[in-house]
Amino acid sequence: MKVLNPDNLRVPDAPGATPCLLGNRCQGCGTVVFPKMPVCPRCHRNGAMEEVEIGRTGKLYSHTISYFAPKGFKAPAFQAFIDLPEGPRVFSLIGSQCPVERGVLEDGMAMQLIVEALADTPEHKDELTYKYIPASGVEV
Amino acid sequence: MRDVAIIGVGAHPTGRFRDKPLKALAYPAIWNAIEDAGVKSSDISVAYVGNSLGGLLTGQEGVRGQVMLQHSGITGIPIVNVENACASAMTALRGAWLEVASGAADVALAVGVEKMDVGDNARTIGALSGVSELDLSEMGMSFTTSYAIHPKINLKSRMEEYGWTAADFAKPAVKNSYNGSLNPLAQHRKPLTIEEVVQSRVVVDPLTLLMCSSISDGAAAAVLCSADVAARFSSKTPVRIASCVLRSGVYRLPDDKGPDSATTTAYAAYEKAGIGPEDLDAIELHDAMAPAELMLYERLGLCAPGEGPRLIDDHITTLDGRLPVNPSGGLCSRGHPVGATGLLQICELVWQMRGEAGRRQIAKRPKVTMAQNQGGLLLGQDSAVYGCTILKS
Repeated sequence: MKVLNPDNLRVPDAPGATPCLLGNRCQGCGTVVFPKMPVCPRCHRNGAMEEVEIGRTGKLYSHTISYFAPKGFKAPAFQAFIDLPEGPRVFSLIGSQCPVERGVLEDGMAMQLIVEALADTPEHKDELTYKYIPASGVEV
Repeated sequence: MRDVAIIGVGAHPTGRFRDKPLKALAYPAIWNAIEDAGVKSSDISVAYVGNSLGGLLTGQEGVRGQVMLQHSGITGIPIVNVENACASAMTALRGAWLEVASGAADVALAVGVEKMDVGDNARTIGALSGVSELDLSEMGMSFTTSYAIHPKINLKSRMEEYGWTAADFAKPAVKNSYNGSLNPLAQHRKPLTIEEVVQSRVVVDPLTLLMCSSISDGAAAAVLCSADVAARFSSKTPVRIASCVLRSGVYRLPDDKGPDSATTTAYAAYEKAGIGPEDLDAIELHDAMAPAELMLYERLGLCAPGEGPRLIDDHITTLDGRLPVNPSGGLCSRGHPVGATGLLQICELVWQMRGEAGRRQIAKRPKVTMAQNQGGLLLGQDSAVYGCTILKS
């Protein structure tokens, strides 16, 4: 198993440590972006971005069920946007432990980050990525 | 800047033509446009050729424009290859327009062509994913998903916000399928009912199969010249480019409250043309997913937020209405060969303005029209390309 994009996702080895996304924060205006970029999209300052750990939790902004799968993926599958408390709004798949049925997810619900294979397919079963699942007792 | 006229247009029918390579699709569009314009091919001094997926799908990664134009007997002149996703052809038109407007060229050719049916739909859809920023497509996000839940359009949330129903979503598809049924160049010529559209298979909730544009081959071309010499070549109704505006997406932070990029692009085009949305007589717009037409009504300034379905209910944007939208059938019925679409829109508007649109001719021949085209998807939560061209006769 390898992390699909190690620049975006930190998967700690230490037991009990939780995974997180890696974004950038502008040292000028405080704007946080994900994925990283070298120029702040709000104040357009160059070279003021620092790496920050973000996205351990989030809130479901929007979601749908895709009944069509691009090559290397399976359907039906949830697809979603997650609002992170640090600022960014991130496209994400939903963890496979979540049954793909209407009514399972509700926009606005608290979510938490997990790490699993991008898809349970020969193409992607060995690529680790971030996904979100409904949070259990996590305050957002 | 000189005034520029479109003096000739041509198109290849839209549909699945598995055995036709790019150059065979482009040839009839190019020569129909040349013969329609009344020019000699040797009069053309520059060409812009739009195509999006041909590198991945055909293997001809480079010099596609030169390959296609050589097949049509046009060589030696400067040929510029344009890739701008689903707005490639509109971008090619802009290049040709600037060449003539600036005085650099007297006669210019714009071509848009796409070859999508390669016998493997998964490969085509994979290539299409490549016009979204890779960070999104590698996670399995499709264009259909982007129309359903992406913050820039979020059709799913409009249902709650405006009370739009599945039947409302189906209305543009039904209207445009009727227009397409009258268009001999259209890919899908069966008039649809609300029930058929709503009950077709769900692709990405809440979008059904008959709300989505499909895999399509096609080509379109236009010949442009300086407006003051247009009559020398052609006795047809002169059609002038009043404005041609191209924009790129803006990085949208979640707290962004600014106007949508489709709106800013359209209003820039209105301003340059010296008109407002109320002056338009017909529109061809980018309904890659049919319900997007309802959103675009708002964004182009045709109605207040949430009122889109009423424009169809009240027969305003139907073929018999005050402002027909997508008289060709639009992307879902006429077809959406992505790199040809912007010029297919222009062809339709020119035919309508000349009174040459056959059974789908708008009764009161339009004098001021607009083509709205967009394409691609960026991480910054906006489409990548926006284009609007306003024509006057």
